[in-house]
Amino acid sequence: MSETNSPDTETTGLKMDFLSSSALNSQTSMEKISMIVDRVKKGDLVVIEGGLTPEEEAELIETTMREIDIENFMGIDIYTLEKDKTSFFGLSRKKTIGITIIGPANVMKEVKKKSNFLSMIANLGDSDAPVH
Amino acid sequence: MNMPRFFRSKFFKDILNKLLGKNKVLKIGFYGHPNSGKTTLANRMTTDWIGKPIGTISPVPHETRRVYRQEHVTVKDDGVELNFDIIDTPGIATKIDYTNFLEYGLSEEEAKERAKEATKGIIEAIKWLDDVTGVLLVIDATEDPLTQANITIMGNLEARNIPFIIVANKIDLEDATPEKINSVFPQHTVVPISALNGDNTNLLYRKMVDKFK
Repeated sequence: MSETNSPDTETTGLKMDFLSSSALNSQTSMEKISMIVDRVKKGDLVVIEGGLTPEEEAELIETTMREIDIENFMGIDIYTLEKDKTSFFGLSRKKTIGITIIGPANVMKEVKKKSNFLSMIANLGDSDAPVH
Repeated sequence: MNMPRFFRSKFFKDILNKLLGKNKVLKIGFYGHPNSGKTTLANRMTTDWIGKPIGTISPVPHETRRVYRQEHVTVKDDGVELNFDIIDTPGIATKIDYTNFLEYGLSEEEAKERAKEATKGIIEAIKWLDDVTGVLLVIDATEDPLTQANITIMGNLEARNIPFIIVANKIDLEDATPEKINSVFPQHTVVPISALNGDNTNLLYRKMVDKFK
């Protein structure tokens, strides 16, 4: 996903951080939110296994709004992919969040999304890189 | 102390009413994306029932940038009254790009100022989720309803056990698909209306009395 050119040329790359649920379970909600916003503000895409609770999502939006500085950081885009989860001896099925993708606003372009499939092109300035 | 007189006092009755929740005011929050028609709906409701609008509307997104409260609104349906305060909130978004306002004729300075106010308004709207006791989630029926902002709002309402109605707005527009909102949220009450023209608002008032009374 990330290309690093030789030191003599300008670097155009998209850094993506993949975080498993176990990496996040040890953190408090505020630590999770701060970690996500700090990385996204630097221009990274954060992909986390599972999702945030509704309260954490609201806190993420609130924290993002506090961190917006109009010209340099305009906010975030969030996308989630669901997965089916069977429970009660396989008799009932419900949807849960499989992965959550959070990135700087307007980096994820041309997103095609269904509940269990996401395809996007990341805006890297002059060039675009596909991410499936 | 004269016990019988004490139990007849206003002081004691006020405490008793508070413990029994009889003094609780129903606060219905209007939530949704920017430009979904929340303030247009709030104006429609306050004009219908108390004769005056609550706020200004505009085609420029983020027109409402702080929470407006209209107290003592009474909606009547079939002899039943619903008394509540309207809490009109700024539209919730995950990003604000001030350059989007330039296409509406705002100067760069005005656009940046509007963007800053919009971020503060969104923070205020999220904080009000702790205080509202009912919600109308206003969704533009010409847009995709499954946005992160709508999902976050609904998730928080469900987690907090706050009753809500989904209002599929703008059915007066040709590309409105309120049935899509119905199919995406079959477990919730969805009412298609046009807040601008007043289409189907009587059904919304009836559903509000059913849901929030």
